[in-house]
Amino acid sequence: MDTLGKILVDGALAAWWLYEAIIAVLMAGFSALNVVLDPVLSTVLRVLNPIANIAGDVVYGMVSVLSPAWGLVIISAITGVVMLFLFKYTSNQTAIVASKDAIKANLLALKLYKDELRVTFLSQWRLLLAIARLQWHMFKPVAIVIFPMLVGLSQMGIRYQWRALRSGEQAYVHMYLDEPLSHEVALEPVQGVSVEVPAMAGEQDYAWRIRATESGRFALKFLVDSEMIEKELVVGDKLERVSVERAGANWVTQLFHPIEPLLPSSSPVSRIEIKYPDRESWFYGSNYWVLTFFVISMLVALVLAPVFKVKF
Amino acid sequence: MKLMIFIHATVSSMRVRGLHACRDTAQAPDKSGLHFALGSFKMKLFNVAIMALLMTVAVSCREAHTSSSLGPRVVVVGFDGMDPRLCVRLMDEGKLPNLAKMRDAGGFKPLGTSIPPQSPVAWSNFITGANPGVHGIFDFVHRDPSRQCAPYYSAAETVEGDLGWEVEDFNVPLNFWPFNHQPTQTLLRREGTPFWDYLDEAGVNVHIYDIPANYPPSKSKHGHMCCLSGMGTPDLLGSLGGDSQFFGEGERSRTVAGGYIEPITFSGDKAKIRLLGPEHTFLQLPERVTIDVTVYRDIKQKSARLEWQGQTILLKEGEWSDWCRLDYELRMPPFMPASHAKGICRFYLQQVSDRFRLYVTPINIDPSDPAGQVISEPEDFITDISDALGLFYTTGFQEDHKALSNKIFADHEYHEQADYVLEERLTLFDYAKQTYDDGLLFFYFSSTDLQAHMFWWDSDKKHPIRSPEMAKKYHQVVEDLYQRMDGVVGQVLEEYGETATVLVMSDHGFSTFRRQFNLNTWLRQEGYILPADCKSILRVSGKGSVDWSRTTAYGLGLNGLYINLQGREKFGIVTRRKRDAMLEEIREKLLKVRDPEDGHLIVKEVYRTDEVYHGPMTGDAPDLIVGYYREYRASWSTSLGDISDVMVSDNTEAWSADHCMAADEVPGVVFSNKPILSAAPQLIDLAPTILQALQVSPPALMKGKIYLK
Repeated sequence: MDTLGKILVDGALAAWWLYEAIIAVLMAGFSALNVVLDPVLSTVLRVLNPIANIAGDVVYGMVSVLSPAWGLVIISAITGVVMLFLFKYTSNQTAIVASKDAIKANLLALKLYKDELRVTFLSQWRLLLAIARLQWHMFKPVAIVIFPMLVGLSQMGIRYQWRALRSGEQAYVHMYLDEPLSHEVALEPVQGVSVEVPAMAGEQDYAWRIRATESGRFALKFLVDSEMIEKELVVGDKLERVSVERAGANWVTQLFHPIEPLLPSSSPVSRIEIKYPDRESWFYGSNYWVLTFFVISMLVALVLAPVFKVKF
Repeated sequence: MKLMIFIHATVSSMRVRGLHACRDTAQAPDKSGLHFALGSFKMKLFNVAIMALLMTVAVSCREAHTSSSLGPRVVVVGFDGMDPRLCVRLMDEGKLPNLAKMRDAGGFKPLGTSIPPQSPVAWSNFITGANPGVHGIFDFVHRDPSRQCAPYYSAAETVEGDLGWEVEDFNVPLNFWPFNHQPTQTLLRREGTPFWDYLDEAGVNVHIYDIPANYPPSKSKHGHMCCLSGMGTPDLLGSLGGDSQFFGEGERSRTVAGGYIEPITFSGDKAKIRLLGPEHTFLQLPERVTIDVTVYRDIKQKSARLEWQGQTILLKEGEWSDWCRLDYELRMPPFMPASHAKGICRFYLQQVSDRFRLYVTPINIDPSDPAGQVISEPEDFITDISDALGLFYTTGFQEDHKALSNKIFADHEYHEQADYVLEERLTLFDYAKQTYDDGLLFFYFSSTDLQAHMFWWDSDKKHPIRSPEMAKKYHQVVEDLYQRMDGVVGQVLEEYGETATVLVMSDHGFSTFRRQFNLNTWLRQEGYILPADCKSILRVSGKGSVDWSRTTAYGLGLNGLYINLQGREKFGIVTRRKRDAMLEEIREKLLKVRDPEDGHLIVKEVYRTDEVYHGPMTGDAPDLIVGYYREYRASWSTSLGDISDVMVSDNTEAWSADHCMAADEVPGVVFSNKPILSAAPQLIDLAPTILQALQVSPPALMKGKIYLK
């Protein structure tokens, strides 16, 4: 047992080291890629986010008469149909059918000629090639669909992942600075919001505890030295979009927090965050909404694919 | 629950139908793609329609079921320590209108309590419908005679598990074949059959909240019982009473009864504190796991910021935080994932300026993720509650009376904390009522006990820690609490008065605890404990230890007196032949003991357990139970075997009221919306009465009488 224990311990340590190495390599790769992607995608999102926000408001305005659950069902179903058509017209359907036929044919060959070693190996090789070809034919439509899909998901996330504060509820606001504790910061009084605990400095940020006293959309005004910075706060009972974070230019944060304008690059503030409560529902609440969305949109796509003659 | 079962069954049947439909389609003759697809689509639509139809039928059936076939209902509200004398006075003054309404209809009687009137004993009497000779709980503290008089907690026992597989610094338990290592387990020591087992067997639904003396919760064999453990449930650190943690500037590190006091030292306005967690028992040298908390203070604004595990809270001086989650990581060997113990706590920022003081409640087991800690039956009962209500106290003792005793809390701070507990329990009670259809609903309130222990004072004599005005002011807190509880009863009567048997009961009453009697000092004085200079019956050897070869009797617990019996105690010397005479002798002498201060008799009753207990566990009981007059109780040192120099002294603790006296000095109460026929109902009568009201025949073992009309 001692030897087994030592083997397990050493093996686990080696596996952990390998895992960390892989993560480090991936992170380095992503950072390198980000250097290229960030200027492009950040500019794209700067243009795209306001349009997506308007589109989101229109769509959710239309389903606002329904309950949030039905709204999610309908939007997911429509997204499933849209994605189906996008896939159909951006993919090479003939090549996909051919690749799938090749997969089927080679699987059949493996079954029929299992005693023929040469045919078996050849079929396995061809099967591998056919799968690779199918993946390649899938890649193009997926690459085209993925960005609008992320933008769409982002619009859903700002509505389903968190909920607006309720009147009487408290929340924490965090302001992260590039150089902490070297600035004078203050949160100006706002009608409808009371500041219960003024700015308390931490290691990297200032935090406030606020309490919403009435419903509405409020602009929290922060004075950082002599610069005024605003951050939106939403209070209410309805399904409303909330901006958890107002951030500087970075395509990832722009993607996930599309509502508010970017912080000026000259600002000492790197981001302002409001800890909104998670939306609680096993169907359309935090994290579950993504599951619901994917299940419904994929089910709709699967059911309607034969109807619209889409192959995937 | 029934609805869920029904829908589950319906959905299961739908799944089978769906499967069959798919199989039929798959076996269908070859068709063109579009036709096949449309056929499949139609089939799916058909299935969806069938599903919707079945769901509608299921819901309709359930509606019909609930409206037409509800079983009998009994709602029991247990107010720990509710006192009949105070109730009667307040009812006469018109301050308890709802209880008075039941009294006026013949539904009120003082309720005979257990011998001794201690909560675990009394609630075990209630639970089993039997005396301590059957359930085997005689006191908070029992002794192990095989180790002479080693004390242990009476209601539950922790059985150490196997050591496990030794790897590096760990003992890894392998609870599978061929190793089958047994984990450490906590076992309920209460014997006898709880009355709800008979209901469970008869298919009657049982919902029990916070019942004392039932940790770990007894299992439901037939799935009709849900139970949340109450008094006796430990905190995450394993402490039965709940160990709070207090951090103060200028404090020295020490452990006190009920918690830990630690210094906090600021560097500038920043400090680090360490929250103690459970003991990591998988380590070969077990140690407590901790969570580091960074504290920032702002003296000018009188506020503080606390940060741990990615969480931040801001508090102003005098503020309590909401419940906060703590995730204690129990590291394991590298090839295994770490274990986690999930806890919750609330922070109370007592003071920032002058001297920083931060109080942390006992780390409660997280009700939303108990992570293997079984504090409800079924195990997911507590997570269901937490899904609906969020986080709440899960320890058995929720009111932190020890913080008041240790002078960490001032009176008003304890009152505030205890009031929060009550608010939380009232919310839980609302949930309990909402989820209750029929059968038994039992709900326990600890506030009437633990607020009374600290605030009750109806004596003309001087209070140990309060001026007469303050003693009066805080006794009023108890009276206000009774009025509030009367409002709760009013709601129950409004909701269930016409459709259910409603019982409002307490396990015992209350009295001022002004003077404390050191039983062992008296026994030493009378020559039963020797030598004359011994200091503790638990001291094994050396100066101050007891000479067991000459000692004939000793006291342990709050009411227990044991003979040092040959063949039972490890160093027993009294023969069985001499036992009876010695018991009578001690009894007679005790009944004559007077308080040197004013000559008042101290002991009202001395019960021989072989006379008042009947059942298989009687042999484990103390030989005598000492029942004190009101205002007297066993001293603090007696309960754990210490022998002080003074036999009778003032109780100087904040814990200024008690009930561990003679049973007839502190009866409980029973109210009902039905007339009570029995002239002198007892606690053990309640179980058969509840069974009868729910149309289940009480077993022959239950000796209590049925007393409702």
